[in-house]
Amino acid sequence: MSTSYVTLARQVGLMAEMQTVANNVANVSTTGFRREGVLYSEYVQAGPPGRESVSIAAARARTVDLSQASVERTNAPLDLAIQGEGFFLVETARGERLTRAGHFTPNENGELVTPEGHLVLDAGGAPVFIPPEAQAISVAADGTLSADGRPLAQLGLVVPVDPQSMKREPGQLFATEAGTEPVIEGTAILQGYLEGANVDPVLEIARMIEVQRAYELGQAFIDRESDRRSKLIDTLTR
Amino acid sequence: MQSLKIAATGMSAQQLRVDTISNNLANMSTTGYNARRAEFADLHYQQMARAGTINAADGTVLPTGVQLGLGVRPAAISVDLAQGALSQTNGDLDVAIEGRGFLEATLPNGQPAYTRDGGLQRTGDGLIVTSDGFPVVPDIVVPDDARSISINAEGEVYAYFADQVEPQLLGQFSLVGFSNAKGLEALGSNLFAETAASGPPVVGLPGEDGLGTLRQGYLEDSSVDAVRELTELIEAQRGYELNAKVITAADQMLGATTQIR
Repeated sequence: MSTSYVTLARQVGLMAEMQTVANNVANVSTTGFRREGVLYSEYVQAGPPGRESVSIAAARARTVDLSQASVERTNAPLDLAIQGEGFFLVETARGERLTRAGHFTPNENGELVTPEGHLVLDAGGAPVFIPPEAQAISVAADGTLSADGRPLAQLGLVVPVDPQSMKREPGQLFATEAGTEPVIEGTAILQGYLEGANVDPVLEIARMIEVQRAYELGQAFIDRESDRRSKLIDTLTR
Repeated sequence: MQSLKIAATGMSAQQLRVDTISNNLANMSTTGYNARRAEFADLHYQQMARAGTINAADGTVLPTGVQLGLGVRPAAISVDLAQGALSQTNGDLDVAIEGRGFLEATLPNGQPAYTRDGGLQRTGDGLIVTSDGFPVVPDIVVPDDARSISINAEGEVYAYFADQVEPQLLGQFSLVGFSNAKGLEALGSNLFAETAASGPPVVGLPGEDGLGTLRQGYLEDSSVDAVRELTELIEAQRGYELNAKVITAADQMLGATTQIR
């Protein structure tokens, strides 16, 4: 029996992997989206003494690809892209969250918010206020936001202490329980640009075909196993 | 089965992007039109195995868990409020706003509406109205016998008469600013209405508080950049095809599933 179960575990994992491919492709135009992947781990069941053990592959972990995506020019003064590692810090109802999606706008009170309405925080953890009469807003590479040449705030850029502990949330947000620390150097903020999704269509389609073929292989294996077993029953009951 | 639905959310997102682009391209020559851009956000994540779950076999803790995304949704269609180029028209009631302000007009139901389309007209009574005939606030009436009118950068409207050397001041346009002009609701016909997200209108005179100044004889062109729209159109089309490809593959996998004996 274990032959079919081992294959079934693999099929379930492949279905989940297909779902991550579909999600990556669906988000190919989502600003600041990070592609995800599934990792399989081996689940070993010890056999009786002297016999070989059974090893089952199960989708037990996922990966978040944090590599840099390409940036696109939008010319909007409050579209900010991060070049290098780091995240913007935003305040949600559930606590502080990290995001790479830098499409910001002032809200009705003049505070800088994301399209979902979450407050963008500065390096000191306070909301960023943009005076309504400000004409020219410029953001320097180090995150210093100035209106008409007068510095207003410095946008906070942080990195999670433990990148593996990051949990995804809707709206390109990441939650981290381990805490964050400020980015020291090597990261620049580009004003008038947005970072796209780091989904590579070629890679995703290749992975999709691979998953599909592996799934069909598994299916053929289950068929073959079923044939073998019915032949066995035929032979034994003749 | 999820993959099919996820790819479908991707297809409808790309469809929305094409809709936005086609509206931008259709308004390439609309006075004072601002290009729109569709913004997307990822959907909720399904927790297959929670991070921190204790692995039953040997008591180790899963460091990352398995989270599966469920697709994409439109987050916002934001207005690109960049100043469009000005084109010279020489019309004496054509005013372009150089700055972030809006002209205020009164709709027939008495509600205020805001516009950047400065192609103004005169009614039979000499009242200055927008191109759709809505009176501009404050009311400015141009007398019939005025030889010509001039509007200065501060929005003051002067009329010149054949029998007078000195021009006569008829009134002064006001401009309106918002904390978040991207939050305005588009009403069509180049008009916008206040919303809770835009903040209350702040009325001022041209030249004050960064609202901008007026320029007579010019109109603000549409801020649509055709090159950018076309490259985005190609991207959207390819994105659509990629998602369709995922649907085909997911369908074939499900086809294989139904043939299990």
